[in-house]
Amino acid sequence: MMLQVEAVDKEFDGFKAVNGANLTVERGELVAVIGPNGAGKTTLFNLITGQLKPDKGRIIFKGGDIAGLPPYQICKRGIGRSFQVVNLFPRLTVLENVRVSILSQQGRSINLFSPARNLATDKTTNILKSVGLLDNAEATAGALSHGDQKVLEIAMALGSEPELLILDEPTAGMSPEETLATMELIKKLASTRGLTILFCEHDMQVVFSIAQKIMVMYQGRTLIQGKPDEVRSNKEVQGAYLGGSE
Amino acid sequence: MNFLPDISLATLGVQLVVGLSRAMILFIVSAGMSLILGVLRIPNVAHGSLYMIGAFTAFTVAKLFGGGATGFWLALILAPLAVALISLIVERGIFCRLYEREHLMLLLFTFSLMLVFGDLVKLTWGGEFRTVTAPSIFLGSLPVFGLPVPRYNLFLLVAGPLIAIGLWLLMNKTRIGKISRAAAVDREMVGAVGINVSWVFAFAFVIGCYLAGLGGALVAPTVNIALGMDHTIIIEAFLIVIIGGLGNMWGALCGALIFGVTHSFGVLLWPQFAIVFPYIAVIIVLLIRPRGLLKSVW
Amino acid sequence: MPRKRIINLRSFWWQIAIPVILLILPFIAPSFYVYILALIFVTALLAMSLNLALGYAGIFQFHHAVFYGVGAYTVALMLTKTSLPVWIGFIAGPIVAAALGLVIGWLCVRLTRLYFGMLQIALGSLVWAIVFKWYDFTGGDNGIYGIPLPSILSSLNGTYYFVLIILLICLIVLYLIVNSPFGSTLQAIRDNPGRCAAIGVNVRRHQLICSVIAAFFAGVAGVLFVVLERSVFPDLLFWTFSLELCIMCLLGGWFTFLGPVLGAAIIVVLRTFVGRYTEYWTLILGVTLMLLIFFLPQGVMGYFQERFKPRVKASAEGTQA
Repeated sequence: MMLQVEAVDKEFDGFKAVNGANLTVERGELVAVIGPNGAGKTTLFNLITGQLKPDKGRIIFKGGDIAGLPPYQICKRGIGRSFQVVNLFPRLTVLENVRVSILSQQGRSINLFSPARNLATDKTTNILKSVGLLDNAEATAGALSHGDQKVLEIAMALGSEPELLILDEPTAGMSPEETLATMELIKKLASTRGLTILFCEHDMQVVFSIAQKIMVMYQGRTLIQGKPDEVRSNKEVQGAYLGGSE
Repeated sequence: MNFLPDISLATLGVQLVVGLSRAMILFIVSAGMSLILGVLRIPNVAHGSLYMIGAFTAFTVAKLFGGGATGFWLALILAPLAVALISLIVERGIFCRLYEREHLMLLLFTFSLMLVFGDLVKLTWGGEFRTVTAPSIFLGSLPVFGLPVPRYNLFLLVAGPLIAIGLWLLMNKTRIGKISRAAAVDREMVGAVGINVSWVFAFAFVIGCYLAGLGGALVAPTVNIALGMDHTIIIEAFLIVIIGGLGNMWGALCGALIFGVTHSFGVLLWPQFAIVFPYIAVIIVLLIRPRGLLKSVW
Repeated sequence: MPRKRIINLRSFWWQIAIPVILLILPFIAPSFYVYILALIFVTALLAMSLNLALGYAGIFQFHHAVFYGVGAYTVALMLTKTSLPVWIGFIAGPIVAAALGLVIGWLCVRLTRLYFGMLQIALGSLVWAIVFKWYDFTGGDNGIYGIPLPSILSSLNGTYYFVLIILLICLIVLYLIVNSPFGSTLQAIRDNPGRCAAIGVNVRRHQLICSVIAAFFAGVAGVLFVVLERSVFPDLLFWTFSLELCIMCLLGGWFTFLGPVLGAAIIVVLRTFVGRYTEYWTLILGVTLMLLIFFLPQGVMGYFQERFKPRVKASAEGTQA
């Protein structure tokens, strides 16, 4: 078991954003977390990747408790993350965005004297090629289209050579074509790079077509974790969430 | 180290009172800066300049009215108003156009104001020291529990809390005060409710600067009014606001008390380096509670 | 855009002419201009060192002058109070400055942005207060005058070349640093520290290292100041000077490599020449800063880089971090 979230709580000024959430992710799985807005999905992700500290509960990754560690340490342990709201280095080029990630992973971010533009070019172009951004390599990140920026988010997460990739709403704001392409990309990343992927989404088409396991959150709690069919037919889930069309 | 083994209780007491009264001035100026920092989120580097302008204006007003008691009281009323007017003109004329820019730019702009004001003061009043004499009732000392304490300092000890109460009433009991406090926490929300945030900023800025001028007018009888006053007070005010908690008036009071009292003890214990004591206190506070002693507004 | 060009001047002719002029200046110009140029070199190095922290890493290094002053005072004290060789003093200056940078930096990096700047001002003012009041050791507000230097450096021309050489070496080193992985990481930290943490960067450690390097070069500038002026005084450490340095970086363009050099040159030249006609130089500086903020926020060099960019980059950038 790669990631285990156990009975995690997080409260903000009296409001319980996450209230006893549970999640298990096995190595190589493609797991989706779904739930209505405000169910606590992004908060849960922030707890896993260290932007927030849980009030209660444990988060075990590869056997070690990572709850409360600072984000950079969690990243070094093997978790990569893309953000829901695009969170890039807007003034750097696409290439430089990914390269920073790789250099950090290689432990070379404190290298003071070699010219950065000559380093890690192979790896960077590799990643850019696999996400389809190689043609935009020299463009300023801030100038990309929203869809491309979301893909760059994923590319940057890949730069840290994660074992577990966490994607927070990877297709939010994308057109249907871009959404389809990103879905394919996620599937490909899982199979070719052997990545374990945890993502949350509002687009049910995406979720049910690629997720192998789904965790449903509602008001901070975990309603159910299971295969797509189980989830789809579960009465509680239907009542809470799938009742309307998403 | 120059420890004086025979510090009498009287000396200690007098120094404490002097320290507290100096703290009152620091409080008034810092409260103004804290208000501006809280609502506009800008450290007003020109705050010290306005303090200095307040002091110089007090000198001019006092001289204009004969230098006696009437001169002093009129100066106390008019000088801060003059400073408030200047700040209103600057704010509405130039400053408000910059609100959309980022904080570093605004900070540098207030620095440019400090530079300009500094030289304008030099132009207007020249480079020599000026003095203001307090009214005769405030001259000399008064025995309090057997200790001789300068009367003017006692006056400051009374004036300070009165001003604090006045400020508290303004910010908590008037509509505009409450709106300002709300804007400090969430300006977008305030704007969304249909209130003109720009005028709220103007209010906070002008009141803050008024306080700076008031501090300058109050301190006038106790110091040599000179160029360079702005440089020293601004750092002190900054640090007080930081250790007190950004935007927090009571925090400014705490910070000012710490500053004033540690300075007094410094004067007693190691006069040559008295100035170092408050800085060390500030550093200790910031190491233990980096966000300040009391809650900051944002 | 922090593009990695050294000189933005389009014409090849300029790139030859300027170094040549700089090299032969002492032989063709009156000594006053040689002195001014040397002063520009010293100030330029100081501004460049600040910009490493301010422009490249986005650190609010509000009291950079402290490291400059400490470097200068270290060398001054070593040359006047000890009989150690001059070169040891020269090396000690930057090292002490860097050590102070480490202490102050370590205390400040725990805080973010504005608080970092404020605590640095507090600590820096403490250092200033100590220097200002410790009359017996540092000369108090009189400073230290008439510092003895070896004979090669006792002539203005010798000083000029010494300062120029050190400046060039430092510029090369800074250029390497800015283009290294460390430099890229710093810029990423400036743009988005949260994201950096998420990709495994220990943001605080990088900021600390950056601060220390900046302090080191400020110390070098301090040593050069002593070589040029043979004196030190507490004003070198005063916070208003620190803010003036920020203005130089802004004026030149803090997202360009050589912007601060230009900014320093402009300010020094203005101060010297304006100072001849009026004692209200501060007023002029203040108004200049105001105009800059309103009309030229990307600085002079930044402005020219925008005008003469070889290809149009559709950019969604705001002013800066």
